[in-house]
Amino acid sequence: MVMTSARSATGTRRTGADRPAPATRRVRTASRGRGRAGYLMVAPAFLHMALWTGLPLVAAIVLSFTSYDVLTPPKFIGLGNFTEIAGDAVFRRSMVNTLVYAFFTVPVAMAIALVIAVLLNGRLRGRSLFRTAVFLPQVTATIAVALVWLWIYNPQGGLANAVLSFLGLSPVNWLSSTTWAMPAVIVVGIWQGIGLKMLIYLAALQGLPSDLYEAASVDGASKVRQFFAITLPLLRPATFFVFVTSVIGAFQSFDQIYILTDGGPANTTTMMTYQVYKSAFREFRMGYACAESLVLFAFLIVLTILNRRMIGGTDGNR
Amino acid sequence: MDLSRRSFLAATGLGALGLASTALTAGCSTDGGAEASASGPVEGEITVLTPMYQGATGKQLLEGTLLKQFHKKYPKATVKVDYTDYNSLNEKITTGLAGGLLPDVLMIGVGWVPPFAYKKVLAPLPDSAGTKYDYQPRVLAPSKYDGKLYALPVVLDARVVAYRKDHFEAAGIKAPPKDWTELRAIAKELAQAKGGKVTRAGFDPFSIDLRQCWENFVFANGGRLFDESGRKVLFDDDRGVEALQLFLDVVKDKVADPSFAPAAGQPSTLQQGRASMMMTDTALWLNMQQQTPELIDEDKVGMFVLRNTDAAMLQGGTLGCVSAHSQHRAAAQALVEFLATPDAVLPAAEQRGSVPGISSLRDSAYVKKNKLVDFALSNLDKSVSEGGTPAWMEIREKVKPTLQTAVVGQRTAKQAIGDLASVAKAAIGRL
Repeated sequence: MVMTSARSATGTRRTGADRPAPATRRVRTASRGRGRAGYLMVAPAFLHMALWTGLPLVAAIVLSFTSYDVLTPPKFIGLGNFTEIAGDAVFRRSMVNTLVYAFFTVPVAMAIALVIAVLLNGRLRGRSLFRTAVFLPQVTATIAVALVWLWIYNPQGGLANAVLSFLGLSPVNWLSSTTWAMPAVIVVGIWQGIGLKMLIYLAALQGLPSDLYEAASVDGASKVRQFFAITLPLLRPATFFVFVTSVIGAFQSFDQIYILTDGGPANTTTMMTYQVYKSAFREFRMGYACAESLVLFAFLIVLTILNRRMIGGTDGNR
Repeated sequence: MDLSRRSFLAATGLGALGLASTALTAGCSTDGGAEASASGPVEGEITVLTPMYQGATGKQLLEGTLLKQFHKKYPKATVKVDYTDYNSLNEKITTGLAGGLLPDVLMIGVGWVPPFAYKKVLAPLPDSAGTKYDYQPRVLAPSKYDGKLYALPVVLDARVVAYRKDHFEAAGIKAPPKDWTELRAIAKELAQAKGGKVTRAGFDPFSIDLRQCWENFVFANGGRLFDESGRKVLFDDDRGVEALQLFLDVVKDKVADPSFAPAAGQPSTLQQGRASMMMTDTALWLNMQQQTPELIDEDKVGMFVLRNTDAAMLQGGTLGCVSAHSQHRAAAQALVEFLATPDAVLPAAEQRGSVPGISSLRDSAYVKKNKLVDFALSNLDKSVSEGGTPAWMEIREKVKPTLQTAVVGQRTAKQAIGDLASVAKAAIGRL
């Protein structure tokens, strides 16, 4: 978008003698018109963001400094909520749980998604069917997905224990054991996250220049060598995008916890978003929940900056 | 252009802040005029939020029968129903409050009146509403706060111990245990194990909600949750710790297994024969009628009130109350009173397998046919309710996860109760 100004580029005010010629004025009028049109086109998205993101963010920041239970007016308590969070063992636990969940779900799901994307990018009979099948968990309602997984993890007669029994292993209390509840939730997270990641990788793979592969083939590079020397480096922008959105998604995981474990047993699967939800809607502590969500927000910003430094952001040539 | 862009941004920012403050102000204005009178004509459209009357039969009972009768009595009043379940009820109320869309009539749990009445969410009901029918005094107690009546009981639920008579007979046990020492001893005799794993629990305390079960243990051990004022925590004494320790002891004795709890909709461990004694609520009888009628026909299930130092039966239930925010308070109050009449209470209790809390219904065919309900009504003098503090809604959510830390071995019973007491004291301190 071109911004016009009454001042020249050097910042000096123009006199009548150096006033632009009519043709230049027409160009400037046209570009000013384009500028207005640009603002006009941006306005709906801006208003949408301001109303549904900006406003709640401002409200959350304000409320995080208050004791607010929805039922009575908020009371300003300064940093009280934040100091309480610092000593809150359950919130600390939820932070650790979220990190563990993200640490396992993000890279594993990304690796599997990449492998599947590479496979489905090649010539394969029934490719569209496989692509749809892999993407299906992404578009299936989490409630339905979680109910199926509840059956899979059912200690009596569930599929997971049936497989263990078939292998001669002892049954496991998947969702009520402090040892197994988190891995069980992680498996669901990985399974559910593969589809979208695969789709992004697939789109990125289809945009890679074929001449590089042809040259590599001529030089005698194997498929594996081509994958590591060409595909992976060129996928860096897509990898950055997938990584950032996956980390954010992992930090916001909520519905599978709500259905599968309710954060239990003994808070072993309570994630940060779930803890925010519990504080706000079950314990009537809106101010505290807002402070918790700001901590989560800060966490995500720091992680995104770190991701950008580590992976190299959107600059695929770096 | 610069100036206009700045103006635009400034105006937008101010607008956002203005909207934020408006939202905050709206959120703050929860006074609701709790003292306003409910007198006036019974008219207008009201909404009822209910965790009861679930499923097709429940909906048919409420909308097909009860509300039709209500509408016949009050033709100018119409009722919209918002169904939910007990797990989501709290959230529904919170979001309703935050959004300024609280239903006119709320069906809430026992223990919920003090927090909501304290915060002026509920409108008081006239004392006469509590004396119109012969509600049992113990049943009416959880409906009151600070001497005022805020709710009417629709149905009750009681927690008792159900036991398999055939298992007792096979083991040569003549009578139910009189205290926890006997309970553990009998449970050991009844339990069965294979390869070090429990295959039949002697005593299953894990098939009902951990919070409610622990509370029942506390009461049976002579303890209480809070003092009369609701400002002092009492469960953190030895009686509360021993109540939690009982869970750990029965697991250590290998007479119970926390993983035994069946999935929703499946027959209970007692019905399956995988437990000889089980903490249960009164809905067990309805489940047996539907899933394992042979247990009733062959008289294989008995029940007793849990006892250590005291005999105690945790009394839960569903209460109807009027929102202080209701624009049609007379209609809302009329609906609450209607749903608490014997004619509405009896079918509601029958549909859920619950206990009707009106004395005149003691002799109804339903109560006579449902031995568990009959037993609960016979022992109503031993009933104790949870809650009792205006901070209960915050505390109740913390009880289960905190107790679980002891059950799974992360904390000792004493440490877990200490943790819970700290949470409860902090919540009460914020009042």
